[in-house]
Amino acid sequence: MSNKDNAVENARKDLAKRLKVDASNVKERSVEDADFPDMSLGAAEDGEMSGQMITPGWRIRLEADGKTYEYRADKNQLRAYKFKGKNHRI
Amino acid sequence: MNRNNIFIHLALALVLILVAAFAGQLNRWQKDWKSRGVGIVPATDKKRPTTVTEIGLNETRSFSRPEVLVKFRSGVSQETIEGIAARFHDRIEDRIESDPGLEAIDDLDNVDAATVVAEYSKLPEVEYAEPNFEITLDANEEPLVPVFPRDPQFSDQWALQNSGQRGGKEGADISAPLAWAKTTGSEDVVVAVLDTGVDYNHEDLAGNIWTRPAGMSPYHDDELGTIDDENGYNAIDNAADPMDENGHGTHCAGIVGAEGENDLGIAGVNWKVKIMPLKFMNAGGFGSTKDAIEAINYAIDRKKAGVNVRIISASWGSTQRSRALEEVIRKAYENDILFVAAAGNASTNNDRTPHYPSSYNVPNVISVAALDRHDELASFSNYGAKSVAIAAPGVEILSTWLGNQYEEKSGTSMATPVVSGVAALILSEHPRMSVDELRKKILDSTDPIVALKGKTVTGGRINAAKAVE
Repeated sequence: MSNKDNAVENARKDLAKRLKVDASNVKERSVEDADFPDMSLGAAEDGEMSGQMITPGWRIRLEADGKTYEYRADKNQLRAYKFKGKNHRI
Repeated sequence: MNRNNIFIHLALALVLILVAAFAGQLNRWQKDWKSRGVGIVPATDKKRPTTVTEIGLNETRSFSRPEVLVKFRSGVSQETIEGIAARFHDRIEDRIESDPGLEAIDDLDNVDAATVVAEYSKLPEVEYAEPNFEITLDANEEPLVPVFPRDPQFSDQWALQNSGQRGGKEGADISAPLAWAKTTGSEDVVVAVLDTGVDYNHEDLAGNIWTRPAGMSPYHDDELGTIDDENGYNAIDNAADPMDENGHGTHCAGIVGAEGENDLGIAGVNWKVKIMPLKFMNAGGFGSTKDAIEAINYAIDRKKAGVNVRIISASWGSTQRSRALEEVIRKAYENDILFVAAAGNASTNNDRTPHYPSSYNVPNVISVAALDRHDELASFSNYGAKSVAIAAPGVEILSTWLGNQYEEKSGTSMATPVVSGVAALILSEHPRMSVDELRKKILDSTDPIVALKGKTVTGGRINAAKAVE
C-alpha cells in the first residue's frame, strides 16, 4: 500500500536510476489525481492483462535534463509510462 | 296440358315471385337496420374491448370482423372522408384524435377486411389502410408479473431495474425483474469468473460458490501437478486457493450471482448459480497472459471432468495479441463454453485498434461495451461496429467487495458479468442450448439504443427478459 507522497518519491528515485543521474536533479513538475482506464493504469507491460475497471490514482510528471517524464501510481503500484517507448511496472 | 294444370302452374309461379320479393325486402331491411346500428350482428362481429398489456401479447389477424384503420393524407377534409365512406357503404366508427386523418372504419356489407383495405389503399386520398388486428392474450400463457427481490440494496441496482434513481433514465436497464418472473437461475449452471479471484466467504456470495463435487478427482496437470481445487483455481501460485486480494473479481462475481432474496445486500443477475473462482490477476488487478491461459485450461479440464462450466466471464484485457490465448479460447469453444469479454476502457474503436481477448475472431467470444444510467455509451467505453457485439450497464454498478462490503465501480469490467449473468439465466431455462445458439440468443435479445447505432454489432442493450423468452 502506498500514498501519493511515497509514490512521488519512489518515482523520482526510479527516474534518477534509469537516467543515471542524482535524484536531486529530478524535479517534480506536477502531481494530479486521475482516473485511469484499467488496473494497469493504462500502462500495461508486454504480456500483461489487467482488469477493465476505472481506477483512481495519481499522474506524476517529473523533469530531468530538460525533458518531462510521466509516472502513474495508485495505492497498489507505480509505473513508468512510455519511458523510451515502453511501460515499466516499478 | 289441360286447363287445370295451367292454373296450378300459374299459382306456383306467383308464389315463387312473392317469396323472392319478400326475401329481397328482408335483405334491404337488414342493411337498413345495420346502418342504424340496431342490426342483428353475428356474435363474432360484435365490437369487443381489447386488452393490451406489454407482455404476453399475441397478434391475431381478425379478418372476420369487417373493420379497418385508414389513414387519410394530410389536407383531406372530413367532408371528403365521409363522402368516400358513404360511397363504399361504410361507416366511420371513430376518429383517432391524437392522429388527425386516422379513422376506424366499419364496413356495412360484411366484406372481409382485406378487401376493404385493398379498396381504400387504391385511393389517392389515402396514405395507408390496414386491418384492425384483434389483439388477444394467448390463452395458454399467463402474463408475466415482474418479480422484485427483498435484498435491501436492490433499489440502488439501476442496471437491473432503472426507476430513474439518481437522475437516471427510467427503463434504461436489462429488465431483470421481468426475466425473474421466468427464472432466477439454476445451481446447475457454472460460471467461471476468470479474474483476481473471488472472496468466496462474502456473505452474499458464499452460497453460490462452486465446490468440486464429491467423488470428482482433484485437478491434475502433468506439468503443474495435482491441486485440491475445492473452490476453484489460483493460476498465479498454481494453488487451490482463489481468494481475491483486490476486490475486482468479487465485484464481477456479485454481478453474475450475488444471492437473491436473502435479505442481504444486493441481488445478482442470477439469484442461484454456481460461480467458479479462477484467479490469474494479483492484488494490483493485473496478471500474465500465461496465467490466464492456465486458468482457461483448468476450466476446460473441469468441463471435461463433468462440471457444467458453460461460461467464462473475462473482465480484463490489453491491446496485445496473443496467439496462444486465442487458441485456448478456441479450445473453450470446442468444449461448448461461451467466452464473454470486456471491450476495454480506452474510448477507442476496436475495429481499428483491437482489444484482446474481446477482439479475437472466435465464435464463442462476445465483446461487451458499457452503458451509463442514461442509456448513453459510457465515456470511457471502447466500441466497434464490427468487433463489439453488445452493450450492458457498466457505470456506477453496485456489487460485492472484499470483507462483506459493497462498492460502486465502473468499467467494461462491470458490463461483462451482466452479459455473463444473462447467459447463465438462459441456460437455466435451456440447459441443452449449444454455445452457438446461446451466443445468438444473447445477440438477438437486445433493446435498440440510439447511442449505440453504428457503435456495436447489435446496436442494442442486453435485455434479460427477452433472453429468457
